[in-house]
Amino acid sequence: MSNVEVLSKLEEIVGKDFASNSPEELFIYSQDPGVSHPRPVDFVAMPETVEEVQQIVRIANEEKIPIIPMGGGMTLSGLVIPVKGGIVLDMKRMDKIIEINETSRYALVEAGVTSGQIISYLNEKYPDLRAPFPDAPPSITLAGNALIHGSGYLSQKYGDHGAMINGLEVVLANGEVLKVGSCAMSKYWFTRGPIPDLVGLFTSAFGTMGIVTKLSIKLFPKPKFRDIVIGLIKDLDTIPELVLNLTKTDIPEDLMVALAEKPDFMKGYAILMLYINGDTQEELASKTKILKKMYRKNKATFMKMPPKYYDIFLEQPQFAAKAADFRKGGGFEYVGSFMPLEKIPEAIEIARDISLKYGIVPTQVSRIIGRGHAVMFAASYSFNRADPEDMEKARKALHETNEMVLNLGGLPWKAELGGQKLMIEKMDPNYKMLLKTIRNIVDPNGIMNPGNWEV
Amino acid sequence: MTSEAELDWKDIIHRCFRCGYCKFTYDYNDFNCPSYKKHRFETYSTGGRLWLIYGVINGDLQWSENLANVLYSCPTCGNCMENCRFEKFNFLLVDMIEAARAEATKSGFCPEKQKVLVERATNPEMWNPYGEPNSDNEALKKEYDLPDEAEWVYFIGCTSNYRQQNLRDATLRLLKKTGIDFTLVDEHCCTSPMLRTGQVDCASDFMNYNIARIKNAGASKVVTSCAGCYRTLLKDYEKFGADLGFEVYHTGELIKKLLNDGKIKIASNYDKVITYHDPCHLGRHMDMYEVPREVIKQIPGIKFVEMERIRENAWCCGAGGGVKIGYPDWALEISKERLEEAKETGAAVLTSMCPFCKTNLSDANETFNMGFEVLDLIEILDQLDIEILE
Ligand SMILES: Cc1cc2nc3c(=O)[nH]c(=O)nc-3n(C[C@H](O)[C@H](O)[C@H](O)COP(=O)(O)OP(=O)(O)OC[C@H]3O[C@@H](n4cnc5c(N)ncnc54)[C@H](O)[C@@H]3O)c2cc1C
Repeated sequence: MSNVEVLSKLEEIVGKDFASNSPEELFIYSQDPGVSHPRPVDFVAMPETVEEVQQIVRIANEEKIPIIPMGGGMTLSGLVIPVKGGIVLDMKRMDKIIEINETSRYALVEAGVTSGQIISYLNEKYPDLRAPFPDAPPSITLAGNALIHGSGYLSQKYGDHGAMINGLEVVLANGEVLKVGSCAMSKYWFTRGPIPDLVGLFTSAFGTMGIVTKLSIKLFPKPKFRDIVIGLIKDLDTIPELVLNLTKTDIPEDLMVALAEKPDFMKGYAILMLYINGDTQEELASKTKILKKMYRKNKATFMKMPPKYYDIFLEQPQFAAKAADFRKGGGFEYVGSFMPLEKIPEAIEIARDISLKYGIVPTQVSRIIGRGHAVMFAASYSFNRADPEDMEKARKALHETNEMVLNLGGLPWKAELGGQKLMIEKMDPNYKMLLKTIRNIVDPNGIMNPGNWEV
Repeated sequence: MTSEAELDWKDIIHRCFRCGYCKFTYDYNDFNCPSYKKHRFETYSTGGRLWLIYGVINGDLQWSENLANVLYSCPTCGNCMENCRFEKFNFLLVDMIEAARAEATKSGFCPEKQKVLVERATNPEMWNPYGEPNSDNEALKKEYDLPDEAEWVYFIGCTSNYRQQNLRDATLRLLKKTGIDFTLVDEHCCTSPMLRTGQVDCASDFMNYNIARIKNAGASKVVTSCAGCYRTLLKDYEKFGADLGFEVYHTGELIKKLLNDGKIKIASNYDKVITYHDPCHLGRHMDMYEVPREVIKQIPGIKFVEMERIRENAWCCGAGGGVKIGYPDWALEISKERLEEAKETGAAVLTSMCPFCKTNLSDANETFNMGFEVLDLIEILDQLDIEILE
């Protein structure tokens, strides 16, 4: 099929307004806000229904055209920029919140539902419930985030967002629709076991296994009040024990250790940002009292949050995108990684050195996941989008950070192509073999975001 | 050192991260950018547009009809300016889009439909974007017994003078009732349609002409019933280096002042349920949200109800930025969404303070049979008894 024919097929399926290969759309979809080099895109399409996704996938499969599912496109690591050209499937027209189950506490949503949408929907209609979402801008999708093992303000208590998926509806490369999780045999999308867990096939797969069209994600009760209890840490080596002791109490809901030059009070310290909640102010006060004592015992200093920063730190999602302008250049990318808690002090030191080596102000955050069973360690590198040399420095810093993470026994998270390559080099051969075998069965023509996880 | 405010937009355009806050309302409950909401490609968000413009500046993209189309399918409502989280951009986003339209025009890519606005406005028989024979307003002066010189000039604006004469006449009657010393001038297009569509070449001539006319009338104050003229006179004339030498008021401000100073009083009842649509050029562009509401609240008998998206969060009517002429069907769709929102309030009357909003909202009201009475607030006041207290 010629490009003209493919476009006209896509237009037939999704409507003339929602398929394009005009240079303007291709320009925008050939790059993301991170530091990856642009890569060519052939078409962009925005389906509205599962049937439309199926029809597009069938054509792509017949014609062996790569297909790249995209939510908000905000991973920063180039995951929705095609590696081998093809159709970018922007999922954001599939934006229905299908069901909120208040008793089994889950939301069944289409793949294009944004975090902004679910936040405002629950606030208005189900004020006692909250959804897991990251500190990414509200334009990201719940599916895109959960599918990459995202994490957020509920993760210290309840684990990463991948673990909160109850079930998925997926369009496979052959155009068939698959359901995984309890929804495979029940009308309740409430759990992913006790059956062989195929949800895992689709998480952190970066679209290589299929196109997710629906997602059921766990919801959580929402206490009335939330607060932050700041601690200053001078000696990085005390972090693992401090975190262990804090998580023993079951008090922290979200627990992060941050390293930043701004605001001024954060300079020279690792800052413990510990969020608590409760249904009464008394509850918050008593939790704060326990924490203060624990800080003292563990050589951390309690600090009253300067009032002018209070709203900034308590906003949900936090306006983390401000990091994009630290160098007045509109760009940042970070190596996120899952690290063992015991390696955090070392990771912080090495990532700080990498930052300084490339003249970038060290900016890091470690978010505790599931009471310390893992830590999402992120080292962020801001760059000036208008300065190619500056961007190259950021690329080098990212690469060295990926290496550092792997050397310390951690795993790069949502890794860009270079990071994936390093991971594959380290991967157990049988893991690789099984992954390859499954890929060949699920997607024999290699149309699903090819170039990613090339084992 | 240059302060952030003085930076040229070309020096900072690459600093848009394309995070997407610009698409939403404050609380993310809906997409509030009419263009993104319709097209849904990232290309049509403000961030997308900035990236395209930067692509052109960098030589990565060439001007084309489609690129111009992306830039022109934006009613410049300013929702992005309200919701962008990067302060440096807040006041500049719409300016950047308009500046890029000017570049498109220079490169020969101003769309034909928008070109017509300026072809008509520069036609010496017309001087207005509607293609009507120019009214020098002498007949109106006679009809309303207005002097050649006065303290105030009522700057009618082309939309009121050629499309919403009822608003023009209501304003004239109301101004007469209030007893202020005012007159009319032979005004030409205020330049809003030119500036909003990037056709800026002859804007200065029009500005200088209008300023000279107003000064010739000996006026120290101008009042206009048009949100577009108001924004242009107050914001854009200065940007183009024009020296106004007179104060500019919107009719809403003047009425509010007269009411608050105890000079007039509304002496009859308006027993209807009304809701108010914030015109983008008055609201987000000029921060005027309270004035019309304060006037409404002083009308005896009125039941005022608010829509969900109001003030900084208002949904645009869809007429501005050349969208009404460039994409007439889409402009109506945008207004339809506003009318549906107004329906939910139970109001019978939808009011606003912009003749352009009134035109588009009325057109949609008729096209989709929505059953509203669409009136400018001045038209409502015109129906009531105004008592002069001094
Ligand atoms: C300022 C900022 C702050 C951030 N903070 C956080 C944070 O606190 N926590 C966190 O977890 N992340 C964070 N991120 C990273 C990232 O933005 C989020 O994880 C985001 O949720 C990713 O979702 P998305 O919709 O943008 O996914 P996308 O980037 O669109 O997609 C992610 C991956 O999933 C695949 N995919 C998307 N949709 C589908 C589908 N329907 N079917 C199959 N595959 C699909 C894509 O192909 C891609 O490989 C942050 C990013 C930024 C820019």
